[in-house]
Amino acid sequence: MGRQQGWFAFILALAISAAVVLYTNGLRLGLDLRGGSQLTLQVLPAGAIQQVDREQLEAVKDVLDRRINGLGVAESTLQTVGNDQLVLQLPGEQDPSRAAKVLGTTALLEFRAQKPGTENQMQGLLTLKRQAEAILESTRPTPGSPAPPASPLKAADLAKAMAPLGIKVSPNASEADQLDQLLNEVNRRILSLYGPPLLTGRDLTSAGRQQQSSGDSWEVTLGFDRAGGEKFAGLTQSIAGTGRVLGIVLDGRSISEATVGPQFKAAGITGGSASISGNFTAEAARDLEVQLRGGSLPLPVKIVEVKTVGPSLGAENIRTSLLAGSAGLGLVGLFMVLVYRLPGLVSVLTLSLYALFNLAIYSALQVTLTLPGIAGFILSVGMAVDANVLIFERVKEELRSGNSLIRSIDTGFSLAFSSILDGHVTGLISCLALFFLGTGLVKGFAVTLFIGLALSLFTALTCTRTLLRLLMSYPGLRRPTNFLPARQLPSAL
Amino acid sequence: MSIPTPRFRISRYRRTAWVGSAIACALSLLGMFLCWRNPTIAAPLVPGLDFTGGTQIQLERACAPGACPALTVSEIQAQLGGLTLPQEGQERSPNLSSTGVQLLDGGKTLVLRLPALSTEQGRAVVDQISARVGPLLPEGTAINTIGPTLGSRLLRASLISLLVSFAAIAAYITFRYNGVFAFLALVCLAHDVLITCGVFAWLGLLRGVEVDSLFAVSLITVAGYSVTDTVVVYDRIREQSKALAQLPISEQVDVAVDATLTRSLYTSLTTLLPLFGLIFFGGSSLFWFAVALAIGIAVGSWSSIGLAPTLLPLFSARSAR
Repeated sequence: MGRQQGWFAFILALAISAAVVLYTNGLRLGLDLRGGSQLTLQVLPAGAIQQVDREQLEAVKDVLDRRINGLGVAESTLQTVGNDQLVLQLPGEQDPSRAAKVLGTTALLEFRAQKPGTENQMQGLLTLKRQAEAILESTRPTPGSPAPPASPLKAADLAKAMAPLGIKVSPNASEADQLDQLLNEVNRRILSLYGPPLLTGRDLTSAGRQQQSSGDSWEVTLGFDRAGGEKFAGLTQSIAGTGRVLGIVLDGRSISEATVGPQFKAAGITGGSASISGNFTAEAARDLEVQLRGGSLPLPVKIVEVKTVGPSLGAENIRTSLLAGSAGLGLVGLFMVLVYRLPGLVSVLTLSLYALFNLAIYSALQVTLTLPGIAGFILSVGMAVDANVLIFERVKEELRSGNSLIRSIDTGFSLAFSSILDGHVTGLISCLALFFLGTGLVKGFAVTLFIGLALSLFTALTCTRTLLRLLMSYPGLRRPTNFLPARQLPSAL
Repeated sequence: MSIPTPRFRISRYRRTAWVGSAIACALSLLGMFLCWRNPTIAAPLVPGLDFTGGTQIQLERACAPGACPALTVSEIQAQLGGLTLPQEGQERSPNLSSTGVQLLDGGKTLVLRLPALSTEQGRAVVDQISARVGPLLPEGTAINTIGPTLGSRLLRASLISLLVSFAAIAAYITFRYNGVFAFLALVCLAHDVLITCGVFAWLGLLRGVEVDSLFAVSLITVAGYSVTDTVVVYDRIREQSKALAQLPISEQVDVAVDATLTRSLYTSLTTLLPLFGLIFFGGSSLFWFAVALAIGIAVGSWSSIGLAPTLLPLFSARSAR
């Protein structure tokens, strides 16, 4: 008897600590339950690297972490998945498109001097670039108002400027497409006039932004380390007073072209700082600043998946699923009490404990609960009930063949054990396969089902047994008719 | 121990059971074959966004269900065809005129299936279409984009995890019982998974139901459940094999099935109850998942009672000879 009471005290202590853990830690809800956005980024192999490995993935993650911190999005998490993917979660109503833009670009900054003898070509290209950008700016739809009509007049001017350079765009495309084609071509040609990159984003120590004194556009300020400052001085000295430009290239796009005055002929621009005035809006300047501070990505990334769930959709989902789950479980409880009587009642008690332990483990292990996770939980409850059904059926069988009550209970538990074990072990094997080979959703399901199955082995064999044995110490409850209808008992009893 | 006389003898019905299962399997294969031959599907099951890749946008209109201003699918398609999207890098923005449009809840909810869009393009679609179908509830909007490579990777991962778990389960049963039991457990498992797939192939053909990664999860769960169910009957056969050694194997099976029948039915019922809860009261996102599980579990109980034990004498007799 003392052994049962010891177990009972142990279970009671477990239940209390589970409740405490659950109360203090709470549950972590997945984005599909509370709303938010999830971006999956694929790291792509580039250059000499054929296959992305763990180390490179971590390097990419470091850079992205710094960028996310710079963006100041609340409670975001960035996790690595497999060997070449990263998942960013942005809870709540935060716009994922900005994060996508800031994270998705490599942000490789290069300073390149124009090659000598290309002054005329560069002049023409830059004029064309300014014109095209001006038109693009004027036709860009602003949020809330319809796109302004195309302006054929300006496009005709452009065509005139394009002709001597031999640039052609497909005439049937829309005006915006034509402009894009033109700008791409111009950019390609400008890049071909630059020398090699002598100074890159690696030489930066700081980045900032400030409003330009004229107008409301912004510029991004840069600070170089010692070596970078010297390189910058050398670079500016080489073109000072020549009329050739210093190109600032970001991710293969020339974003700023500046000439250097003859006064820097002697020593170049010293002091280790520079600014990029690329006609930035406040937000664009801030995004570039964040990217430059975070450093450039060692490998390019591509956004392969974006999921956005509105918070009410999430709340709706959790409410209905919880309702459904509890309705189903309520019916199961009713069924158990009606069919198995006293042990049925015991199993309802232990199954409630089972649910509590499950939630406490989710809370302690910081398992993120998603919809498939809840499904896994409900299914594991089904398996836990099955364990109880197996035991009670065996107990009934023993009673029917005329064994005493206590003996029937003990035999029932020990005979049911092997089938419970086999059933649970095969379930656990599936979970392991799902967890190690499956992806996202499937993993969430596997985790909760695994925890549920492992726990069910414990509760069915320990909690149910202890409670049942404890109740059997009260003579008033120790009657076979509390287990099955009298007519099923052998008449000898 | 006296030899129990089973009230219910499964071996009397074994021909019916086999014919029933054979017909169900044939119908399932036929459904998958028809799906395969259907030029718009060209796969055994209708693959969802998870496997094909693309963008799915779900919108909720700010009006009471049934009282929303009328919309037609072709109207929305025409409007989407005329949209201009912000361009993404060097890539041309996709044409949206062949978008799949679904109206749910009496026109309150809209589901659009588009080619893969960037986040900005997705936003642009929502912004521009809200002029026609709006006002929208911002918190009811969901935009999902899955790249095509991710879809095929998911499919491969699902298939691999399914096959690995089959192999591991077979190894475990061979270790605990013997090879014949493991083989028959796998036959039943294949039977259950095949029929579940078959039902969804027909649902796909007739109702356009798609399978997603949750469906893959449900298949793996059905596989695990099917084996658990079968193992309980086998456990009983093994346990009593000494006591009933003088009986022919088909009668041993009858005794075991009779003894475990109540348990098998009760367990299926108690597992189905929460699933019925999810089907009838649960959110729309879990509906087909719960349906797939319910079908698989029902079929799984059937095969563990009607197939796994009745097939055993055939193979045991052969191996004994």
